[in-house]
Amino acid sequence: MITPIVLGALSYLLLQHGVLAKSKQMMAAGIVVLCGSVIFAIGFAPSTIEALLLMSFCSLATAGGVSFLVAREPVYAALGFATAVLSTCGIMFMQSALFLAAATMIVYAGATIIIFLFVLMFAQQTELRTYDVQLTHPVIAAAIGAVLLITITMCVTGEKGFKLASTDSTRPYSGAILPEELRSTKADDFFKAQSLELMSVPGTTAGLGRSLYTDYLIAVELAGAVLLVATIGAIALAQRPSENLT
Amino acid sequence: MNDTITQNLLVFGGVLFCAGLVGFLSRRSLILMFLSLEMMLSGVSVNLITFARHHQNYQGQILAIMVLTIAACEAAIALALVVSLYRRKATLDVKAWDELSETMPPHVSEVPVQFGEAAMEFPILTPAGLDPLVRPIPSDFEANSSEKADQVNTRKHEVASHA
Repeated sequence: MITPIVLGALSYLLLQHGVLAKSKQMMAAGIVVLCGSVIFAIGFAPSTIEALLLMSFCSLATAGGVSFLVAREPVYAALGFATAVLSTCGIMFMQSALFLAAATMIVYAGATIIIFLFVLMFAQQTELRTYDVQLTHPVIAAAIGAVLLITITMCVTGEKGFKLASTDSTRPYSGAILPEELRSTKADDFFKAQSLELMSVPGTTAGLGRSLYTDYLIAVELAGAVLLVATIGAIALAQRPSENLT
Repeated sequence: MNDTITQNLLVFGGVLFCAGLVGFLSRRSLILMFLSLEMMLSGVSVNLITFARHHQNYQGQILAIMVLTIAACEAAIALALVVSLYRRKATLDVKAWDELSETMPPHVSEVPVQFGEAAMEFPILTPAGLDPLVRPIPSDFEANSSEKADQVNTRKHEVASHA
């Protein structure tokens, strides 16, 4: 499992140095090592089509994250981030979180990335700045990230790590009831039957909406309030200060 | 098999989170730091959705929707902050805003300090009061008595006229 990762990192370093030093041997060696790493990774490929799709989405997202980390131009870094987020949306689709996948695609890839790109182009000149090239303690940051990643991996997959609890499908719906004036036996029965029908197929957007607007209504209201406050704050912050205040 | 997929996706969420963390710690551009933050949040979202699928209920998805909401708020406020900061100093460098934090002593002193005989220059002060060598204070002088104070005042006037 470690081998393709190490090979991929080695191939990246070889390619980067080859491009920087313009030596064709180094670039060829990098491409060869990259092919070897890909072949190694294909050896781990699962048999079912679902797992295969998941794995390809995961590798695409990881590649996007790595390109986000190593890109010098901020615009390329933003594009790498967009790749990672879109692949994450694919994973969410595969995990039957349809609404969330669509919302993430709209909010992140549609709004956030575009606005960030606008600000980048508003603030960024054509040439690279020193703060794009020089990083603050990259070695220490990479060491912290590696330690955290190894810890997570050991906790999740290690033999002494946390065990996954068995599938808990007893709480698909926490039992929201109709208000008093609407309640009758017929309505109650209808409500129960409908909720059972909705909740029996986990992953439908209708069930998600039902759970969101019955069980988590206060959370939804609070989230709306937070969004409103954030909008007001953003408008107040982004206003150009008036001249006579200086 | 499902457990394997769940574990792999949890590790993948960790990978996204760690990539975001490394980016946040090492980048210096304000916008890229915020993008790293968003990447960490998306790693957390993957984690929550994986658990929702594993437990076959909606709690994880709803929590992920809340994370999405907070991420949108944070992006809006962050962009407004970046724009208003950029208006003050035309740079996206996070180190340009160092002075907001605790001031640290510089590693190398910018102006070399030399204490030498030639470098010492004292300011010239105007002399004030009575010179005790010229006119010594009499032995029967008492500061508290008002008559003596008047005498001292007259002496001061004498000295001033003399000078």
